[in-house]
Amino acid sequence: MNLELQKGSRSRILAGLVLAVMAVFIVRLFYLQIIQHDYYVGLADQEQIKRLTIPAKRGLIYALDNNKPVQIVMNETIYTVFADPQTTEDNGKIIETIRQVAGGNAQANMEERLSNKASRYQVLATRITRTQADKIKKEGLKGIGFQELTQRVYPEGSLAAQTLGFVDFEGTGRYGIEGKLNTRLLGTDGLLQSVTDVSDVPLTIGNRNVNKPAVDGENVVLSLDRNVQSHTEQALADGLKRTGATNGSAIVMDPRTGRIMAMANLPTFKPEEFNKVEDPAVFNNATVSVPYEPGSDIKTLTVATGIDKGVITPSSTYVNTDYIKVDDRVISNASKGQTGTITIQHALNWSLNTGMVTIAQRLGDGTTITKQARDTMYDYFFNKFGLGQFTGIELAGEAGGTIISPDEQDGNAVRYSNMSFGQGMDVTMVQVAAAFSSLVNGGNYYKPTVLAGVIDKNGVYNQQATKPVRTTVSKSTADQLKEMTHIARNTFYSSYDKPGYYVGGKTGTSETLENGHYVDNQTVGTYLGYGGADEAAYVIMVQVSGKNMPLQGGRDALPIFTDISNWMIDYLKLQPKG
Amino acid sequence: MSYQRTATYSSRRQQNWSRNQNTVAFISSVKLGPVAHTVLVALMITVLGLIYLTQATRATSYDYASQKIDSQIADLNTKKSDLEVENARLTALETVKNSSVAREMTAATNTQYVHE
Repeated sequence: MNLELQKGSRSRILAGLVLAVMAVFIVRLFYLQIIQHDYYVGLADQEQIKRLTIPAKRGLIYALDNNKPVQIVMNETIYTVFADPQTTEDNGKIIETIRQVAGGNAQANMEERLSNKASRYQVLATRITRTQADKIKKEGLKGIGFQELTQRVYPEGSLAAQTLGFVDFEGTGRYGIEGKLNTRLLGTDGLLQSVTDVSDVPLTIGNRNVNKPAVDGENVVLSLDRNVQSHTEQALADGLKRTGATNGSAIVMDPRTGRIMAMANLPTFKPEEFNKVEDPAVFNNATVSVPYEPGSDIKTLTVATGIDKGVITPSSTYVNTDYIKVDDRVISNASKGQTGTITIQHALNWSLNTGMVTIAQRLGDGTTITKQARDTMYDYFFNKFGLGQFTGIELAGEAGGTIISPDEQDGNAVRYSNMSFGQGMDVTMVQVAAAFSSLVNGGNYYKPTVLAGVIDKNGVYNQQATKPVRTTVSKSTADQLKEMTHIARNTFYSSYDKPGYYVGGKTGTSETLENGHYVDNQTVGTYLGYGGADEAAYVIMVQVSGKNMPLQGGRDALPIFTDISNWMIDYLKLQPKG
Repeated sequence: MSYQRTATYSSRRQQNWSRNQNTVAFISSVKLGPVAHTVLVALMITVLGLIYLTQATRATSYDYASQKIDSQIADLNTKKSDLEVENARLTALETVKNSSVAREMTAATNTQYVHE
């Protein structure tokens, strides 16, 4: 049978129509798929391709415990419990469960929140732990969700709070090591770009997937020993209680490496509860952030300068009249009565200002503090001992302090006479402790550091080496100064120390300025010393102060030093000499 | 076994076949029309489509399995971190100092060293 379409037949017309419709489809598809290709691919990508941020974990902070790193700052997963009021059922059970499990972290007005049907997101509890979240999940409550967050945890409470700092609610490190090393601790977020399904599960299909892993923050190990830190804080607290002082700070440092073993400040705070602090001043680490006039502790540096320049020896003598005139000012001793011809050692023992001014004069022409004498003092104090300048310690908010140059108008003889016994200059405790460390370790200046190393991705502790930055004085000078401070301590306080150990130090009682004038009823008491057996194993500096309180180095700060020093001897297992 | 001789002899050349060649050609008695061909082609396309879909789905199911494992790993890591935090809290100096064991301890006596 011949089925050929007849010209003008209905079948032929139908075929024509079908062809025409097909032609329309083809043209339309050509337009959509070829001409509009990029536009629709873009739309599809927007819908299907998701860019997910892979958050980097903030690095952990370790302290040492007998040279073994222990975690003292960590991260903890916490959860926010939320509800979708449009899908929740049995609100009574939800409220009861969450109140029972979350306790104080549950929102007070849960009934009101759950009845708000216009909303699809209502927070019911915040900052609950994983265990609590698991308990709520077990109940299988409909319409309840969990949002995962990370919070910084400080398991040691307020231990070394100012040295550690804290992380604020935006995730930024503030103060201390958290603030200073924020970038290193933060890490870099990763990126996952992938085709996802409706549940946002990334799929491997597609050729434009990007998987850039997050780089977690560095895990740093502090040089602080948590046992030394704890005892130092306890000794300081006991000292403040004993003396009635309101503020206190202490540093324990290893003079052989520049590593800080403890850094304590009172009053203090708990980093986890930084938002509850009323006075933000407690965030400051006074040992690095608050310059002050250090007083007689600086006499050790003045004597070292004189010995190193060869203008005095410990047995050099001068005539002490308890007063000495510098230009139009008369400088007097705080301890009077040691008059007559006395040695520099004697002047150091009794902390006589006249002896220090005499050394300053001998650095010049012998009778006046000449420009040459001031230049020498400035060179030692500023350039060699590093006073009045940033030490570079890895803590936020370090202050540089001020040492007036002899080239400035204020850098005159009166200024430098005051500087010889620690007044007329602003320095921080860490500067003084680092400078003094160089005098008890043979003349090597180490940059003070709170970092001992890092823990790599494999959990291996890599120690950071330390090396001296410069020489401050000759070994001979350092040894003489070390012996002089040992004698100075033993002159009055020999019974305080454990027998068989070599302990030395210097008291400091510095006046404070109120409205530009020194006041008598408010002094800062300090003690700066070292201890060890054959070599100095630690340097300790203590400072106590209080509003309108005349605190003294020997009476108020020294017992704190002694407490820490005797404990350190046992802790470091130092064997007595002889 | 018996066989018959052919009545007439014909040479192999005349027989039009040779060694290792089929001597019989089968022609199916079933004839497929255009509709059957179309259906068969459609079936083949369908089978191919199904194979494609199976492969694509298998890739996706791997993704889900992988996602599940990743999720389990993350979950276990979080649990591990939380346990480490708990451990750190329990071994913190403050906790240890206030423990009942610590309260029962006596103060250390002076350390004595023996010199060799």
